[in-house]
Amino acid sequence: MLADLARRAVDLAAGALEAVRAARRHPPRRVRLERFGAIVQLVAPRALVFVDRAYARTLLGAAATWPDPETALGDVPLSAPLEAHLQITNKCAAGCVGCYTGASAEGAPNELDLAGWCRALDALADAGVFHVALGGGESAALPWLGDLVDHARRRGIVPNLTTSGLDGLPGLLAIADRFGQINVSLDGASPATYAAVRGFDGFARADAAVRALRARKRAVGINVVVTRHNFAELDAIFAYAAARRLSEVELLRFKPSGRGARAYADLRCSDAQHRAFLPTILAAAKKHAVRVKVDCSYTPMLAHHAPARALLAELAVYGCTGGDFLVGAKPDGRLTACSFAAPPPPDATGERPRVEALAAYWDRPDAFGAFRTWRAAAEPCASCTYLALCRGGCRVVAAHTAGSAAAPDPECPRVVDHGRAAAARPVVRLPLL
Amino acid sequence: MTRPARGKILAIKWGMNPNSSSLGIDVTFLLAGATALAIATPVIGALLRWRKPRPTPAPDAG
Ligand code: SF4
Ligand code: SF4
Repeated sequence: MLADLARRAVDLAAGALEAVRAARRHPPRRVRLERFGAIVQLVAPRALVFVDRAYARTLLGAAATWPDPETALGDVPLSAPLEAHLQITNKCAAGCVGCYTGASAEGAPNELDLAGWCRALDALADAGVFHVALGGGESAALPWLGDLVDHARRRGIVPNLTTSGLDGLPGLLAIADRFGQINVSLDGASPATYAAVRGFDGFARADAAVRALRARKRAVGINVVVTRHNFAELDAIFAYAAARRLSEVELLRFKPSGRGARAYADLRCSDAQHRAFLPTILAAAKKHAVRVKVDCSYTPMLAHHAPARALLAELAVYGCTGGDFLVGAKPDGRLTACSFAAPPPPDATGERPRVEALAAYWDRPDAFGAFRTWRAAAEPCASCTYLALCRGGCRVVAAHTAGSAAAPDPECPRVVDHGRAAAARPVVRLPLL
Repeated sequence: MTRPARGKILAIKWGMNPNSSSLGIDVTFLLAGATALAIATPVIGALLRWRKPRPTPAPDAG
């Protein structure tokens, strides 16, 4: 136990040193003014710190001025996203049954090339974005990935990456130190579970990628899409992460997007699993001393356990912040609220918003549709004390399951209970006059 | 959170999100609770004041 803790402390310290060294080579954006005050980036420990205006003035002095009156954090959208999720290619030959982008060996039509993505990074840097998460398809297999990552660093953006570990590993190992964090998608702690979730057994190759990347850098973790097939294996997944000395486990809710829409009924977690999610993952994280992250769509499952709202707010635990804290971009450069969401509808000229023109679209009153209208949520979200944080749950699950992106997340336990109560209420028939 | 005479740290978003599909939220602090965060926040405040940021525009294209 003591040896474990000592190893963790060494890993933490070495990880912080790595981050400081990378920041010396290419200093990342340090600060961005916001209506509520400012967001300041720390390199070690890695954090975005949200401060009010008075605090910002003590850090920035007279340089900190705001043209508009102060608002509370969350009252209005940020001035730009914190991070952008760039699907830089849709090429991937793995053929996972639940792939949320429907990736294929051919990729998507009109994919941007290196110059196109560099222009996108320029626009994101000009807007004030702190981080990008690069994904695909399998971006690790792109021959120009290193050039793109260097461009992001030069523009003060920290590049992070998700890879399946199934392709492009030698090239990725050569540039691994240029990323902030790299996570390998690993949807099970055994070949059988991996195969049940993805439709083929790629466990050994993904595991080999985890080990090789971890030998090169400390900020390596795993992304795990939680399904009804691997839920029972969550403890084993944390044990795996501890054994490989990974920096984090990031748990993702299965979304009905891409090929995932067809596989959704078979793979999505049950209501009982959703209700058990938070205690299960916290117990596993504690037992194996591994840091745990969850994706934004899990906030309803956290709220179910009534954690202190102030604590969630202080940890920046928000739910559906697509089109606000984050944006996505399709392989052809079309802008989305998040990677699972369809691009916003075309404007009067027939054009859809593009990532290179983020700033022009961001302030439009109708920007990102239902992603920004959560204050007008229907019951039971309207009366939910977590609405300001959760924002009604996942818009993509709502659109698929309830038929409207503006509907309450149908998998939220409170929404499920509300539906059951409404169904159980006797129907009162008034006499016809 | 910390309420120094001058201003307040409103929230801390820990770590970086490599996941290109959705925002990663670090919930490890839910294990330790408000006390751990109350200890960590002044440390973060001290780090901010130690290396004060300058409000520079985004670095130039290279
Ligand atoms: S009722 Fe709505 S706002 Fe409340 S936790 Fe559920 S989805 Fe989120
Ligand atoms: S729709 Fe909202 S909650 Fe769902 S993944 Fe996208 S940003 Fe997250």
